[in-house]
Amino acid sequence: MAASMRLLFRRVIRLSHRNVNVTAAGAPGRPAGCWEPPSCRCFSEAAGDRSTHFGFETVPETEKAKRVYKVFENVAQKYDTMNDAMSLGVHRLWKDTLLHVMHPQPGVRLLDVAGGTGDIAFRFLEYVRFQQERQKRRAARSMQAPSWQDISNNYSTEEEEGPQESRAVVCDINKEMLRVGKQKADGLGISAGLSWVVGDAEELPFDDDQFDIYTIAFGIRNVTHIDQALQEALRVLKPGGRFMCLEFSKVTNPLLARLYDAYSFQMIPVLGEVIAGDWKSYQYLVESIRKFPDQEEFKGMIEDAGFYSVKYYNLTGGVVALHSGFKL
Amino acid sequence: MAALLRALRVGRALRGLGSVVSAPAAQPPCSSLTRGFHRAALRLQDESKADKPPSSSPSSTTYHEHYRAHSAEQEAAGAPQEHSASEPADEEASRPNTSYQDQSGEQGEEYETEEQLQARILTAALEFIPLHGWTVEAIAAGAEMLGLSSASTGMFYNGAGDLVLHFVSQCNSQLTDILAEQHNQVQLGQAEPKKTAEFLRDAVETRLRMYIPYIETWPQAMSILLLPHNIPDSLKHLSALVDDMWYYAGDRSTDMNWYTKRAALTGIYNTTELVMLQDSSPDFQDTWDFLDNRIQDVVNMATTAKQVQATGETVVQGLMGAAVTLKNLTGLNQRR
Repeated sequence: MAASMRLLFRRVIRLSHRNVNVTAAGAPGRPAGCWEPPSCRCFSEAAGDRSTHFGFETVPETEKAKRVYKVFENVAQKYDTMNDAMSLGVHRLWKDTLLHVMHPQPGVRLLDVAGGTGDIAFRFLEYVRFQQERQKRRAARSMQAPSWQDISNNYSTEEEEGPQESRAVVCDINKEMLRVGKQKADGLGISAGLSWVVGDAEELPFDDDQFDIYTIAFGIRNVTHIDQALQEALRVLKPGGRFMCLEFSKVTNPLLARLYDAYSFQMIPVLGEVIAGDWKSYQYLVESIRKFPDQEEFKGMIEDAGFYSVKYYNLTGGVVALHSGFKL
Repeated sequence: MAALLRALRVGRALRGLGSVVSAPAAQPPCSSLTRGFHRAALRLQDESKADKPPSSSPSSTTYHEHYRAHSAEQEAAGAPQEHSASEPADEEASRPNTSYQDQSGEQGEEYETEEQLQARILTAALEFIPLHGWTVEAIAAGAEMLGLSSASTGMFYNGAGDLVLHFVSQCNSQLTDILAEQHNQVQLGQAEPKKTAEFLRDAVETRLRMYIPYIETWPQAMSILLLPHNIPDSLKHLSALVDDMWYYAGDRSTDMNWYTKRAALTGIYNTTELVMLQDSSPDFQDTWDFLDNRIQDVVNMATTAKQVQATGETVVQGLMGAAVTLKNLTGLNQRR
């Protein structure tokens, strides 16, 4: 019964989200750090004039997307360098963990939304190629002495690899980020099985039931309407498909939380200014992390969108949470 | 609100009965409620399923279900089936991976729970085991056969272990059905009751024959069952199996015999299974001969044990008599 009451309560909150600022509902559970001044947040609904949060600022919803676009346009060139500097390289481990949990089988199609510079897509292709090679080696080992017919068959199947091969589609709303990603791919020599598409997470340019796996790594907090993005994810996934989301979340340990807050607000904008020459964008980044719902709330949102078997893993003590749900 | 109270009462009634079979009866009133209430009702049902204490031996619940099975024949098929379907649920609900809440209450598509869907995928995956072995690839092939994406294998956090455990519990429930059927035949007087040794021999043979389609890859499955994190579950299945066999053989003992009998049968079953793995005779005839011999050994040992005990008592009595005679002779027994 508690579950049903929680469900109804969440539905009420979701409905009120349409009218009230997102931050109001996200207020309980925030660390008692910086609070947004409670100005004109609630019920300021002149026709179509809804506001949302942009970091700790309040902006109209229509403007948030534009401002996020500007942020990422500015940081695109130095994005990877800044990631390494800010997280001391740990973001690579987070992304590797995402792939390990995903454990993709050969032949699946991946959609990486807000995939910008393509980190997840590259790792995915490498993982699947490794799996395929391992399977081939296992098959070769079990075959004792292949006859000349088997060998010739192997040669012919290698050519037909194309349709079976896994494909990754990187989708991002920001053309600059995609350009940087394409450059990286050319540099790494990865071209087969990779596509780059411009698209909005709230309105994906794909048909229904297209993809086996949908990932969004460190992108969903920048989306204006998270529930719409989740519904789009449900739409484009095949039945049995998996939704995976890597995102900054609430640190569970209070001591670590204090250190983390200090690091975020003192160090990161400074690093941004020094390395990328952009204080404000990185100020937006750390503020947007604070505005994002915590693990349980986000899990509830994913369940509301219609996913089943939703689960989350806390990485690095809760700094990052990996949520996973299935379309059944 | 009234509907919610009705659902709660239904849930309490279910818990009181402890029988999964009344679940279908509860469905019609729940279907008229909203999805949230249906989920709550399902959660209560699953709680009642999960309430069957996993700490005490699962055999006691099996007894419970089987006593009901005697009264209503149709339930015999239903109860063990649901029991096996809820076993993966219990395994998954009790596995403390990370923050993991409320999973057994989730409602799946078409009024099918997630556990049922997972059971269907694993059953479909069994076909692909000769090709892929007991691996996640087999589960992926099974999911694809059902029309689901292979990404749904992510639901099985234990990977191949889930597949093996599902197969083992499926075999166990099949055996229980067969034994219950035989029991009914005897009750109805349509068949002769078998002697204990012969009954056990047939039961073990029937059970091991279920492995024959997968015998090539069975060593891999056994090694998966022996992984440390799978040992509690595999031991649970094994003990439930042996308990069922003894129950249908007619054992109702309540003393030390309960343990010794089950230990003996476990030993017989395990050794026969190992012999079967490397048996190449036609229709595994060597294995069944080995089984015969082992059962004979146990029977002989039981007889010998009784004889030894009787002899021992006699010897002790004789010694006591000799001691009393000696005391009489030496005059120590006199009372002054």
